[in-house]
Amino acid sequence: MSKSLIYVRTYLVRFIIIVGLLSALASWYLVSPQVDTVFNELSIWNMMISTFTLFVGLLTVVSRYVTNITRRGAFWPYQIYALIIIIVWIIMGVTVGIYSDIYQTAFLSTKITLHIAILGQLIFFMVSGAYRVFRMRNLRTALFAICAASVATLNSPWLLGVFPEADKISFWLLNNPAMAGQRALVISGAIGGLFLGFRLLFGLEKGALRVTEA
Amino acid sequence: MKVPELKSQYIWVFIFLLYLVPIFFPVGAPFQMSEITVEIYKYIDKLPPGSIVVIGGSSVFAFDLESSAALIPAIRQMARRGLRVVTAPFSVEAAQFERYAIDAARVDEKYGGPWKYGRDYVLLPYMPGADAAMVSFLTDVRSAVKTDVYGTPLDQLPLMKDFRNYKDIALWVCPHWAFPMVVRYATAERGIPSVYFAQAAAYASYTPYMMMYPGKVWMTNGFLGGAQYEKLEGMRGLGHAAIDTYTLVSAAYLIFIILGNIRMIASLREEEGGS
Repeated sequence: MSKSLIYVRTYLVRFIIIVGLLSALASWYLVSPQVDTVFNELSIWNMMISTFTLFVGLLTVVSRYVTNITRRGAFWPYQIYALIIIIVWIIMGVTVGIYSDIYQTAFLSTKITLHIAILGQLIFFMVSGAYRVFRMRNLRTALFAICAASVATLNSPWLLGVFPEADKISFWLLNNPAMAGQRALVISGAIGGLFLGFRLLFGLEKGALRVTEA
Repeated sequence: MKVPELKSQYIWVFIFLLYLVPIFFPVGAPFQMSEITVEIYKYIDKLPPGSIVVIGGSSVFAFDLESSAALIPAIRQMARRGLRVVTAPFSVEAAQFERYAIDAARVDEKYGGPWKYGRDYVLLPYMPGADAAMVSFLTDVRSAVKTDVYGTPLDQLPLMKDFRNYKDIALWVCPHWAFPMVVRYATAERGIPSVYFAQAAAYASYTPYMMMYPGKVWMTNGFLGGAQYEKLEGMRGLGHAAIDTYTLVSAAYLIFIILGNIRMIASLREEEGGS
């Protein structure tokens, strides 16, 4: 790898990360139209880059699929199907618009229905998993099973019908022990993220930003 | 007594049958009304006619479908009360979802309802930029979006002449997973009351917001909340349909946990007997 490329990867990327992070933090802590403008402008840049990467992704997928289809590699019929679907949706979106009646109907009838069906299948695996996993072999597994069973039970209409106070118990559990656990996760995640950021920026995290390839 | 280990396939078939039961024999499972759902209903009922309600946020359509159980009767209530609605999608599928909910509520004139597009409700297109887009939308609507989903300039829509910035919003209704951004930018920073028709899983995570902002943030709980709202609005929809299945499957979930433990105890005894 050339030295100039290493230099760009090492320092320019860090500089961009620092500017992006500082502008986001400054817009959060400072009430300043100028700071907000800078952050909004950077967000727009970020959005445009994300949009560009969408095209890169599309081209990469098409390139890989076409190569595999011509070689009759694994799953090539599915890849033909995927390519046809991609092309049809792009043509429809560009010609009739994504807010047209026909697009809305097509979207609801295909992607959304299938996605909902996939989510609906989860209950089969959840019940089957509950049967196998929530076996109280010791204190830890007992707590695990009791927590899962209480979430399901306290939300169930058959219990709330005969024991309305279950709603209040559920509310208390969510607002206290559950919230404490969630906050612990979020706070520790944020602190971890902060230190990881520092380590990345100071080059202490080996392998990050390809610095160690030098 | 020998307790057999159940194969997953048997459990799946059993759950499938539970799904089918309410379709052919509606159980009409009773459910308890929530005080919070009643509060939301009364709050919307008391809003002066002509108030602007924003329905917006961001997430994925399929995840948000659970919210539609409460959102659809709420839209009917808003139409009945003469409120006006502007949608504010901050993700691609949020735009489709919000439109779907308004269509499903059958409140437009073309369905015999009281609402006329442009006068009583406006569908805005996807506004990219997540948090930045929402702040921009609240500060100045026209800085975030110039036209509606049909390409009509906002100033040509009668409703949008009365809607310039966050000061014109009476209530923010969020039917999407990304509720924290609504609480943060609309409620915490600008004092706009917000209602979240939460998915059951999201409800478990976000209920603390109701403690943090009492009288400003309200949430319904999944399909159960939807069924409660439908009951208040005097209709039977997705919420009622889901509650029957939910009642049976939640009971089955508990029964299978118990069965799993019985099986474990039986196998331990078998091992003890064999050794």
